[in-house]
Amino acid sequence: MAKILKGLKLARITKLMSARNKRIADAPATPVPPLDSYIQNRLKDQLHPKVQHLVVADIIAHSADVKTFVLAPDASQGTTFVAYPAAGQYISIRQTIGSAVVCRPYSLSSSPKEALSGHYTLTIKRVEGGLMSQFALDTWTVGTKVDASAPLGVFTYEPLRDARTVIGLAGGSGITPFYSLAKAIADGDEDFNLTLLYGSRTKADILFLEDFERIQRQTAGKFRLVNVLSHEEAEGCEHGFLTAELIQKYAPKDEPYSVFLCGPQAMYNFVDKELEKLNLRRKYIRHELFGEYRNPEKNPDYPQEMVGQTFKLHVKMRDQEYDIKVDANESLLNAMEHSGLVVPSDCRSGTCGWCRSRLVAGQVYVPKSVDGRRQADLEFGYVHPCSTFALSDVYLDVPMA
Amino acid sequence: MSNKYDVIVIGAGNGGLAAAATMAKNGYKTLVLERHNLPGGCATSFVRGRFEFEVALHEMCDVGSAEKPRPVRKMFDNVGAKVDWQFEHNCFRVIHEGDDPYDVVVRGGWDGFLDSIEAAVPGSRDSVEKLLELGKMTQDAMTYMDSVTVPVQFLGKYADFVKAGCYSVEDVMNYLKVPLKAQHIINTYWSYLGVPTDEMNAMHFLSMVYSYIVDGAAMPRKCSHQLSLSLCQTIYQNGGDIWYNSEVTDLLFDHGKVCGVKVGDKELYADDVFANTIPNNVYNMMQGKEEIPPRMLKLANAREIGLSLMTAYLGLDCTAEELGIKDYTTFVTNESDPRLQEERSASGGFYIVNCINVVVPDSTPEGTCSLFISMPLFDRDFPKDLTPDKYKKYKSDYVRRYIEHFQKVMGIDIMSHIEEISIASPVTFARYLNTPKGSIYGYRTSGWDNVMLRSVCEPMDFKIKGLHFVGGHHVMGDGFSSSYLTGANAANALIKQYKKEGK
Repeated sequence: MAKILKGLKLARITKLMSARNKRIADAPATPVPPLDSYIQNRLKDQLHPKVQHLVVADIIAHSADVKTFVLAPDASQGTTFVAYPAAGQYISIRQTIGSAVVCRPYSLSSSPKEALSGHYTLTIKRVEGGLMSQFALDTWTVGTKVDASAPLGVFTYEPLRDARTVIGLAGGSGITPFYSLAKAIADGDEDFNLTLLYGSRTKADILFLEDFERIQRQTAGKFRLVNVLSHEEAEGCEHGFLTAELIQKYAPKDEPYSVFLCGPQAMYNFVDKELEKLNLRRKYIRHELFGEYRNPEKNPDYPQEMVGQTFKLHVKMRDQEYDIKVDANESLLNAMEHSGLVVPSDCRSGTCGWCRSRLVAGQVYVPKSVDGRRQADLEFGYVHPCSTFALSDVYLDVPMA
Repeated sequence: MSNKYDVIVIGAGNGGLAAAATMAKNGYKTLVLERHNLPGGCATSFVRGRFEFEVALHEMCDVGSAEKPRPVRKMFDNVGAKVDWQFEHNCFRVIHEGDDPYDVVVRGGWDGFLDSIEAAVPGSRDSVEKLLELGKMTQDAMTYMDSVTVPVQFLGKYADFVKAGCYSVEDVMNYLKVPLKAQHIINTYWSYLGVPTDEMNAMHFLSMVYSYIVDGAAMPRKCSHQLSLSLCQTIYQNGGDIWYNSEVTDLLFDHGKVCGVKVGDKELYADDVFANTIPNNVYNMMQGKEEIPPRMLKLANAREIGLSLMTAYLGLDCTAEELGIKDYTTFVTNESDPRLQEERSASGGFYIVNCINVVVPDSTPEGTCSLFISMPLFDRDFPKDLTPDKYKKYKSDYVRRYIEHFQKVMGIDIMSHIEEISIASPVTFARYLNTPKGSIYGYRTSGWDNVMLRSVCEPMDFKIKGLHFVGGHHVMGDGFSSSYLTGANAANALIKQYKKEGK
């Protein structure tokens, strides 16, 4: 072979080697700097702690069925601050309820600024048959310890993506992330126009009314509240539901606008149809999490012969194995939690992937609307147990919580 | 004893998975411990709305075709891991906006490459062809090294290979009289290795570049998550296991040899441990417990932490054709010299835009496409006073500048098409990779610490018995291909030793 580098010297390697050895010899044999000596790693710890040990510091009762809980860091367990959220984010909280260890995601009703002053607030409304909401409303007192995730979720304002004006559509307790967003606008932490169409049954059901009115006055037109009452007529309020006509009435006429939705499943079902009439581009419609998926058997592609069946669920976590039961209409995640297994879960809506587990064996049903898996996860048999239902006995390999 | 394994692998990154798959495939009881809930480290993806975004992979070298497999494909084949490989056979488009601007599309293939450079820099063909011949020799030399136990002919036949390892890219190019402009165009590739070409080792650089030109740039069809899961499947199929959310907090020693690890309160034992985590983290774990050979600490302290990135993942509600994007990779720069591109990267001096739809058209839903923007972000340019409350705006403002710049350069509208966007910063990489400063490239492959010297010095640099480092921070330098190969090489060396010992 021709010598391409004939004039270059092979002997240089000895020089390079001794230069490297000298460089190493000259360096100190002291311990290497710890990760938290770097700003990038410190910010990571501040923004994304693995767990936040919180304690209920105060309780504000709005009514018998709605309370706001002020959560502060529990220094006795090593949490000294609450992680800074983006307005609109949620935290997932974990509680032991009877023999079950249960997680639920709750949007923060507090603003990012409140987190800087050392606390979050969660506003929890009683949900018929809702395990966590009943438990919190009925048993949490000042001093109750609550473990939470870091702030999570993408129901946040992104100026590179969203229009300058957002029409917020809130139903019931779906108001909480908007309360956080509105306060962030007032604080100058977010910069966009928010017109909030807030659906309630009656005027008495409206949460944070005085605060919203105060923010409306403070923000010089950036934030606007429109109450929409379905079960009564009241002065200054719209009557009826969150319809396409109503959105058009309050939306800007000559520029694009984004629509942010947060509310119960029934509201999404109704409003999604209304939004179709408006022919908005997909980028301008953003839903908050759909929440716990119920009644998979109502889907046309669900194998109806499975209704009412119960299967065996074999769970492997590290070197421990468990045998439990799962009903066809409950998610694999619910079955595990109700058996007292401590398993990972955050969004419970099929999207965040924190509960992602390996389906070792068995047939399952995943509703298309909540199938947030990666393509390769589908190919290699991984599922998100929060949105997966058994169609046979199932063997699942689950990460530690 | 159920808590005793043949090998334990710390970290399910590329190096760790390759090592684990190789060990398991050869019948050794293997356990992988991963601190995160996903495998892959960099090799993963995430879903936002109707888009799935590749996190890190631009392209892989040394994969080759089914007929002419190169080391990385061979590694996947050897362990029985199936990957749906896709190829981009063009190199890149580079748009230089500063003084003496140019806009060049560099084609792949021996002739395509030479034609492209010749068209941009008339009279460069002969010298650039010599560069390709040198690239070919680099590849041949590596194939030869892999095929024999004692490389007897090495210095005779492959002297140029070793010489290329002793000089910088620019030393070699100047020696071959490659015109400066042609050097600048070709050296746009420096960013994939993180060190400018006046310092970057020529052997290292040429072996990568030559493979891109001749073998094509490879990527899996379903994001790099597919690479990770195919290796995981091999591990499971061969009796191995992977524990997620299982951070190793300490190493266990027996008579000065690593004999296991601690995960929380749990002690797990193995004959050997692979560490697919940067040595800094391992040494911090060991502190005050076992003596670390002084040379290892000195080496870690002497080294510089490699670069990190700001990355933006954009899901657009229009197609690549509608935008007029025809190239998978577009480099944009306002400096032509790699050293200046590096030094001025934070002022928009250098960034990369990838459009996967050019290679895998249906990787996003019909009527959409995605863009992946990579902006080198060195530690010196990361704001040291950044606080959590300023972080979201910092990311958003940072990325806005680049999107606006790219819109201007290309004469297209991107902003109004953004349906999904996610931004990763060095903080994000620190979170998922747990590396110092959120480095994605491990230690900088500086001139004094280049891959040739690292390889030659490996036996004296790493002397903790029973502990084997693998991954992008190790001897072969950063990049997907390198990190997979460090894992497979370390595993194969151990298997050889085990067989000798009759294990």
